[in-house]
Amino acid sequence: MSELNPQPLPPFADRVRVHVPQAALYDLAKMNKITANVLGRLGCGGCHSGRILDYVALDEFVVNPVTLEPHEVLAGRQVG
Amino acid sequence: MPSPPGARLLPPEAPGVGLVWWPALAPLVAPGTDLVSVLEVEPQAFWELVAHGGQPHYRANEALFEQVAAVQLPKLLHGVGHPFCNAAEDPVDPWPLWRQAVERLNPLWVSEHLSFNRTTGPQGRVESAGFLLPPPQTCVAVRQAARNIRLFRQRLQRPVAFETGVHYLRPQADEMGDGEFFVAVSKAADADLLLDLHNLWCNERNGRCSVEAVLEALPLHRVRELHLAGGMQERGFWLDAHSAAVPQPLMELTERLLPRLPALGALIFELLPEHLPAVGLDGVQRQLEQLQALWGRRPPMRWTLPVFRPQAADAPGQDFGDEEAALALAPQLRRLVDALSAPLSSSAGADPGLRVLQGLIADFRRGALARTLRHTLSLLLLGLGRQETSALLDEYIHAFAPEPFAAIEAEQFCQWLQGLLPRLRGRMPLLAEVLAFEQALVRVTRHGTASTLQWSVDPSALLGLLAAGQAPAGLAPQSVTMVLEAG
Repeated sequence: MSELNPQPLPPFADRVRVHVPQAALYDLAKMNKITANVLGRLGCGGCHSGRILDYVALDEFVVNPVTLEPHEVLAGRQVG
Repeated sequence: MPSPPGARLLPPEAPGVGLVWWPALAPLVAPGTDLVSVLEVEPQAFWELVAHGGQPHYRANEALFEQVAAVQLPKLLHGVGHPFCNAAEDPVDPWPLWRQAVERLNPLWVSEHLSFNRTTGPQGRVESAGFLLPPPQTCVAVRQAARNIRLFRQRLQRPVAFETGVHYLRPQADEMGDGEFFVAVSKAADADLLLDLHNLWCNERNGRCSVEAVLEALPLHRVRELHLAGGMQERGFWLDAHSAAVPQPLMELTERLLPRLPALGALIFELLPEHLPAVGLDGVQRQLEQLQALWGRRPPMRWTLPVFRPQAADAPGQDFGDEEAALALAPQLRRLVDALSAPLSSSAGADPGLRVLQGLIADFRRGALARTLRHTLSLLLLGLGRQETSALLDEYIHAFAPEPFAAIEAEQFCQWLQGLLPRLRGRMPLLAEVLAFEQALVRVTRHGTASTLQWSVDPSALLGLLAAGQAPAGLAPQSVTMVLEAG
């Protein structure tokens, strides 16, 4: 999803520590990357008067990254 | 005598071609490249609104400011959060960070929009309008803009220019024409102009004044800066989306106009970072090369660096005109905000520009949520499908006023969605955990408050699947306790 926001991750990650007290099957590096991704996107938008398409892109990506066709079949099912 | 800070960056001649800086564009301003002669920085794009200790305040992303400060080019500051037609003050004092940005980046001048973005709501609370909106082009708006420009100049002690705005609404009989309005503000505030040619082009294409008519009215000797951008078509309107290369007719217009602008110091290309993948760094490079060629073909002109000169009318202690202007303008601005937050009539008489603005504000808000709560929204899309998720977001958008900072919009949405968990949990058992995680990230950033989270599966595996757009199926049960705390 980096294509949704091509900015390199701003170095916010050092502001938040994620740790898991007990030994667990757990990918800390991935977790920190996810955390930094979110934390880098909390600010104000830039100058423009056009559409912001992040949600549209997320919708299309989640719905089907290959065909961009909706997976409406999932609606109503238990998915997580 | 020691040189003032940043003096070596002061150009002996007009700086020329530049771009709005985003980290992704850094390769274009790397040492050894000569495509860019000046950088424009939108400071609020690198601010967060936090509330550590309970007191809301702005916080700058220091690393990003250091990154841009290290670029050895002259800088300009371009505000996107404190436009000149506001009649309500920002409830959080932005001036310490504004002044800090001025001190660190030493801009040649500073600019802001001739728009408004906040109003006073029914309970006297200052609310965001969710977008930069056009003011009514009336004498009262001119007076208020002049007052705000003078305040801005006095607070930042720099030359100030105002940007000629985009306007998607129909002209009204009791308003000034676009050019007339810009002229009146320039005179009343004794201010230079940031002439956004793409904005004027949008206005003409969308049925307002022609670009030529506006240019004929403007004091061209006061145009300090030009903005150029590309846009997109939407609902029959041409949008100032900063999403593409500059349209060729606009390039040709720029070439014809440049010899008429003796005070022009910067020709800035604007592109939002989210559109960089479509345009490409090579596309931006080609655009800059074209602009450099245009700049190089200008006839020789004597250019003078604008200098901040304290003006009697700007001096501290002055009331900068009249409070009456703000009082008279405030309800007019609020009427537009109220119109945009209500369901629109589809009657033939309704201004179609209102519907465009409504759509843009909703897109802006959905976009903020998609960026900050990506995993939660992914799970909603997977669990509820496109239509139901969209309806859920619409319900939220209609229930709450917009927030300009993504983190605050996210915080507000999280609280609202928590209330819906009892009815959503059955279809998405892991929604509560994903939501709690992203809510905790926002909380630790905004408030510095630590959270302890309980997971029933491996969180990295769950979030990894969601980040890949996949439904979280087949995850083995696993009890994980996670602590999120400020670093």
